[in-house]
Amino acid sequence: MKLKSIILSLALLCFTGVFAKDYNASIFGIKSNGTTLNTTSIQKAIDLIHEEGGGHLNFYVGRYLTGTIELKSDVHIILHEGAILVGSTNIYDYNIETPNTALVYAKNADNISITGLGVIDGQGRDVAYSLLDQVHKGIINDQLKYDRPANRRPKGIYFRECRNVEISGITIKNTAEWVQVYDQCENLKIDKITVDSKAFWNNDGLDIVDCKDVLLTNSFIDSSDDAICFKSHDATKMCENVEVRNCVARSSASGIKFGTVTRGGYKNFKIINNKVYDTYRSAIAIQTPDGGVIENILIDSLNVYNTGNAIFLRIGERWAKNGVGSMNNITIQNVYAEIPATKPDAGYPYEGPIEDLPRNISPASIVGLPGHDITNVTLRNIEIVYPGGSNKTYAYRGIKPADLDGIPEMPDRYPEYSQWKELPAWGFYVRHAKNLTFENVTLTAKEKEYRPAIVFDDVKGATLKDMEYNFPGSGKKLFKYKSTEIIQK
Amino acid sequence: MKRLGFNQKEKTRTMNKIKLLFTAIVMLLVIHVSAKDYYVSDFGAKADGITVNTRTIQGAIDYISEHGGGRLVFGPGNYVTGSIYVKSDVTLHLEYGATILGSTNPFDYVKDPKVKWMSMIFAINQENIGITGKGTINGRGFITANNMMNYIHRGVYKDPLKLDRPNETNRPENIYFRECTNVRITDITLRDPASWNQTYDQCKNLYVDGIYVDSKSYWNNDGIDIVDCDGVILKNSYFDAADDVLCFKSHDANSICQNVVVENCVGRSSANGLKFGTVSRGGFRNFKIKNITIFDTFRSAITFAAVDGGIIENIEVDSVRSINTGNVIFLRIGDRWSKGKKPSMKNITISNVYAEVPIGKPDVGYNYEGPIEDNPRNISPASIVGLPEYRIQDVKLKNIEIVYPGAGNPLYAYRGTSPAELDSIPEMREKYPEFSQWKELPAWGFYVRHADGVEFENVKLVAEKKDYRPSIVIDDVKGATFDNVEFVEPESKGKEQIIQNKSTNVVIK
Amino acid sequence: MKKYKIFIFSLLIIFSLNLSAKDYKASLFGVKSDGTTLNTGSIQYAIDYISENGGGRLVFYVGRYLTGSFYLKPNVTVQLEEGAVLVGFHSVYDYFEVNGTKALILADTVENIGITGKGVIEGNGHAVLKSIEEQIGKGYLDAGQLPAKPALINFNACSNVTLDEIILRDACGDVQVYSRCKKVKINNITVESTSLPDSKGIVISGCNGFTLSDSYFETSGTELSSNNTSKDVSVSGAVNSKGKKIKAAK
Repeated sequence: MKLKSIILSLALLCFTGVFAKDYNASIFGIKSNGTTLNTTSIQKAIDLIHEEGGGHLNFYVGRYLTGTIELKSDVHIILHEGAILVGSTNIYDYNIETPNTALVYAKNADNISITGLGVIDGQGRDVAYSLLDQVHKGIINDQLKYDRPANRRPKGIYFRECRNVEISGITIKNTAEWVQVYDQCENLKIDKITVDSKAFWNNDGLDIVDCKDVLLTNSFIDSSDDAICFKSHDATKMCENVEVRNCVARSSASGIKFGTVTRGGYKNFKIINNKVYDTYRSAIAIQTPDGGVIENILIDSLNVYNTGNAIFLRIGERWAKNGVGSMNNITIQNVYAEIPATKPDAGYPYEGPIEDLPRNISPASIVGLPGHDITNVTLRNIEIVYPGGSNKTYAYRGIKPADLDGIPEMPDRYPEYSQWKELPAWGFYVRHAKNLTFENVTLTAKEKEYRPAIVFDDVKGATLKDMEYNFPGSGKKLFKYKSTEIIQK
Repeated sequence: MKRLGFNQKEKTRTMNKIKLLFTAIVMLLVIHVSAKDYYVSDFGAKADGITVNTRTIQGAIDYISEHGGGRLVFGPGNYVTGSIYVKSDVTLHLEYGATILGSTNPFDYVKDPKVKWMSMIFAINQENIGITGKGTINGRGFITANNMMNYIHRGVYKDPLKLDRPNETNRPENIYFRECTNVRITDITLRDPASWNQTYDQCKNLYVDGIYVDSKSYWNNDGIDIVDCDGVILKNSYFDAADDVLCFKSHDANSICQNVVVENCVGRSSANGLKFGTVSRGGFRNFKIKNITIFDTFRSAITFAAVDGGIIENIEVDSVRSINTGNVIFLRIGDRWSKGKKPSMKNITISNVYAEVPIGKPDVGYNYEGPIEDNPRNISPASIVGLPEYRIQDVKLKNIEIVYPGAGNPLYAYRGTSPAELDSIPEMREKYPEFSQWKELPAWGFYVRHADGVEFENVKLVAEKKDYRPSIVIDDVKGATFDNVEFVEPESKGKEQIIQNKSTNVVIK
Repeated sequence: MKKYKIFIFSLLIIFSLNLSAKDYKASLFGVKSDGTTLNTGSIQYAIDYISENGGGRLVFYVGRYLTGSFYLKPNVTVQLEEGAVLVGFHSVYDYFEVNGTKALILADTVENIGITGKGVIEGNGHAVLKSIEEQIGKGYLDAGQLPAKPALINFNACSNVTLDEIILRDACGDVQVYSRCKKVKINNITVESTSLPDSKGIVISGCNGFTLSDSYFETSGTELSSNNTSKDVSVSGAVNSKGKKIKAAK
C-alpha cells in the first residue's frame, strides 16, 4: 500500500517534470573545461531556477569543476552522458563549517533530483589530502583520528529533510568520505546508479539515515567502507518502509548494514534479490548498539561470494542512553554464501583492517546481550560454505563451560562479527536469543574443523528442521549450552 | 682605429679550439652508437605513471655501467622516478612516447652532498654519459615544489621560504651533471622542473643538440644552465623558460666557462634570453654564438654580466633575431661578490642583429611572468655599462637594427642629458645587474658608460614615436666610432641624437 | 628520607617522561595509507627526522603502506597500530642489504630501536621472488643472489632492540635476522611465513642477550636458528603451529 503511494507520487513528480523549464549550464557561464571553478555560477543557476518555479539544469559532455553547491526545491540536475561534475581539490571550496559538508548539499528542499548518465567525481583523495595538509600546518583543527581528518571531509551528496528525491542513472565516484547520505528524507527513489568509491577511508557507498519510504533498485555499489548502509542518528526518528531490490554490493567493510549508529531504529524492510561479493566483513549485518528498535526485516534471495562473513545480528549497549535496543522478527531466506580462507578484499584500495587476531575463520553469529535477547529470527533455505581448517594452536576457543562463559559480552564495543576474536563454532554462533527457526540450512566446511558447526549459548526456544552439515572428520554438529526448548526435526 | 680591432691571433686560436672540440664530439658520437641496448622494462620498471621506479632504474644503470656500458632504453610509457645517478658509459635513451615523470614527493629526491642541490637525474664525476631520444623528461615541478612548501610549513623541512618559495636548492631540477666528461644530450624534451631545469657544472665536452625545453612550471625555471664547462656545443634547440633561458654561469672563481658554440637556438623567457651570469666568479671565454632567436622575452635578449670578479672575453655573437623582447643588449661590469678579484669584459662582437622592442609587457600571459619593477621608467635603451675602474673594452656592434616604440614621456619619468644629470646616474656597483636597474636612462637607443673602444658600424636605431631623449648617450667613453649609424624618429629633424659626456676619441662618420 | 625518596621518584618520573619520546603520525611526512603509493622516501625521511630530533615513535594507523627498504635510526620505534600493514614492494632493486642480507627493515650499528603494535609487516614474498628470478633469468642478477632473498628484518650490531606484538608475514627470505646485536627483546609476536620454502623465523648469530617470549611461529624453515655464537639466549612461551615449544639452541 505504502509502496503504491510512493509510485503514485513519483509518477506525479515525473508528470510535473514534463512542464518544467530546461536550462543549459552554459547560459550561466558554467564552463565545461575541467579547470574553471564553477561553484558560484552553478549556485546562481540553482537559485535562479528555484526562484523561477523550478526546472532542469542540464549539463552536457564536459568536466565541470565545482566546490559545494546547494540544491533547492524544484531544481532537477541532469548530468547527460559524458558530463562530469568534478569536485575541487581545495578544501576551502567546500562548506566545511557546516556539519555534513558535501559537494552537492540540500536541506529542506522538496522535489529535487540528480539524473542522467553522467558522473559525479569527488576527487576525494586529493580533497582529503588538502584538508590533512591544513591540519598538519595548524590552520584547521582536527584530532586526526587514525591519522586521517575526523571532520570536514566533504561527502558526495548530503540531503537532509528533503521530500520527493530522485537519484537515477548517475555514477558517483571518489569521494573524500561517505559517498551519499539521505538523512531524514521522505519519498526517496534511487535507481540504476553506480557507486565507485574507494578513494579514501570511510567511503560508505550509500547511507540512508532515518528516512521514510525509500526505494533503492538496480544499482551497483563498490565502496571501500560499508556499501549499502542504513543508519539512525536520531533517537526520535527511524528508518522505515524501505525496499532494496536487484542491487550488487562490494565493500572492504560490510555489504548491507544496519548501523553502526542506530539510535531510533528500523522498521519494515524488504531487501530482495541482491548480491554481495569480495566484501571484507559481513554480507548482511543487522545491529543495534545504540538503543534502536529493529523490527520486521525481510532479507530474501541474497547471493554472497568471497565475503568474510555471511550474517551478523547483534544487540549492543554502546550509546544506548534510553535503554538497550531490540531486534525482533527478522527473516532471512534463500541465501547462498561462500566464505574464503583468504582476505576477500585483497588488492582493493583501502583494504579492510587486519584485526582481532589471533582468530580462525569466524562463524555467522546472532548475539544479543544477557536480558536482551534477539527474538523471532527465521533462517530458511540457507547455504553457507566455509573453508574450515582452523588451527587450535594459533587460536583456540573450546566448548567447556569455562570457555563459553569466558567469551566476553563486550556490550559497548563497536560491533563487528570478529570482535570476540576466536569463537567456538565454525558455522553459527548464537547467544542470548529467543525463538529461532533454522529451516533447510546447509553448513559446509571444506577442511577439518576443531570446532562444532553450531554453538547455542543461552538460546530460549529454537526449532531446527532439515539441517544439513558437510564437513570432513567427525566433529560436532550442534552444541547446546544453557539453552532450552531446542527442537531438532 | 687599430686598437679597436680584434686581436686576430686570439681569434684564430679560438676557432681552432672550437674545431678540435667538434672533432672530439663527433668521435664521441661514434663510440656511443656501438654500445649495447638494455630495456628498463626488463629490469622490472613499470611504465604505469604510478609506480616509483627509482631503485629499479638505479639498479639498471649500475648494472650497465659495470658491464661495459650501453643505453638504458625507455619504451613508450610513463616512468615515475625520484633521484637517480647516471654512471659512466651509460646513456638514458627515451624512445618517442617515453616520459620520465618526476615523483611529486620531495622526499623521493636526494640533495646531493657534493653539489648541495636536489635533482631527478644526477651524474657526478662520470664520463661518456648521455640522455637521448625523442622522449620527455617531465619534472612535474609545480606539484613537487608545492608539496615541499607543505612540509616546510609543517615544520618538518627547514627552509627560510624567501619570497614565499622554497630555496631553489631545495627543489629538484630535471638534470644536474657535475664534473662529467663527454656528455650528450640530444633530441629529448624537458618539461616542468621544480627549480632550474638542467645544470651542467664543470663538465668537459658537452654536446646538446635538438632538445625542446618547456620550463615555466615554477619560479627559477631556467632553460639551461651551463656552469664552468669547457668544450660545449649547444645547437638546434628550443627553449621556453620562466627564468633565464640560455644561461651560462661561473660558480667557481678558479674555473671558467670556455670554448662554447651555440648555434640555431630559439629562446623565450620571462627573464633574459642569452645570459652570462649572474654568478660570474671565474668567467667566460671563447664563445661563438650564431643564429639565435629570442622572442616574447621580458628582459634582455643578450645579457653579459661580469659582476662577481670573473672575466668575459672573446665573445662573438652573430645573427640574432630579437622579437617582442624588453631589451636587446645589456653588457655590464659590476662589483657584487668579487672578493678582491677584478672583473673584466673585452673583445665582444655582436653582429647581424634585428630586434623589436615593444611598448607593452613582452611576456604577458605566460606562466610566472617577470616582475614589474624599477618604475617609473620609459622604455629602456640597450646599455653597455662598466665601472669607472673596471671598464668594458673593445665592443664591436655591426649590422644592427633595433626598432623601439619610442614615446618616452618626460612627465612620467625624466632623465636629462646635462653633465649634472648624467653624473647623477648611480653606479650601483653591487646591485643585481638588470637592464632596468637605473630606472630612467637618458637615451632611447643606447646608453654607454665607462667603456674603452666601442665601435658602431652600420647601426640603425628606430623610434616609432617621438621620444624626449636622444638616441645614444656616451659617458666616460675612451674611443668610440660611429660608422654609418642611422636614426629614425618622428619629428626629430635637427635633434642631436648622440650626446657625449666626459668622452674622448669619438669619431662619427 | 621519605622526602629524598619522593625526590628521586619524581626525578625518575621526569626521566622516564623524557624517555617516552614523541609520537609522530606518519601522515605528517606525507606517508600514504592507500596501498599504492611507494612510501620509501617519506618513511626514511621521517625516521631520519625523528632520530635527529631526539627520537620517538613513527606511528602508522590502519591502512596499507607500500615501501621498499628503509633503515631504522637511533631512538626510533616504528609503531604499527592494529590494522596497519607495512607491505614490501615487489622489485628486488628496492631492497638494500646490510652484512650481505637484504631486508625490508634494516638497521646497522644503532641503538634503542623497535617495532611495536598489533600491525603487520607483509613481505610480499612471492612477488619479490618472482622479481629476483626474472632478473636472474635475464642475467641482470647473479644466480648467487638467490640465497640473499630479502628478509623482513635485518639488524646488524644493534643494541636495545624491541619487537612487541607485531605480526610478521610472508617473507621472501628469512623473517628476522639479528647479527651481533645486544639486548634484543622479542615478545608476543606472530610469525607466519610459509608461502616460500625454508623461510626461517629468526636467525641469530653473535648476539649477546636475546629474549624471545610468548610468540607464535608458522614458518617453512626453522623457527629459531642459532649457530651457537650467541650468548645469553632465552626463549619462553614460544610455540609453532603444531603446538611444539620452541627452544633455544645451545
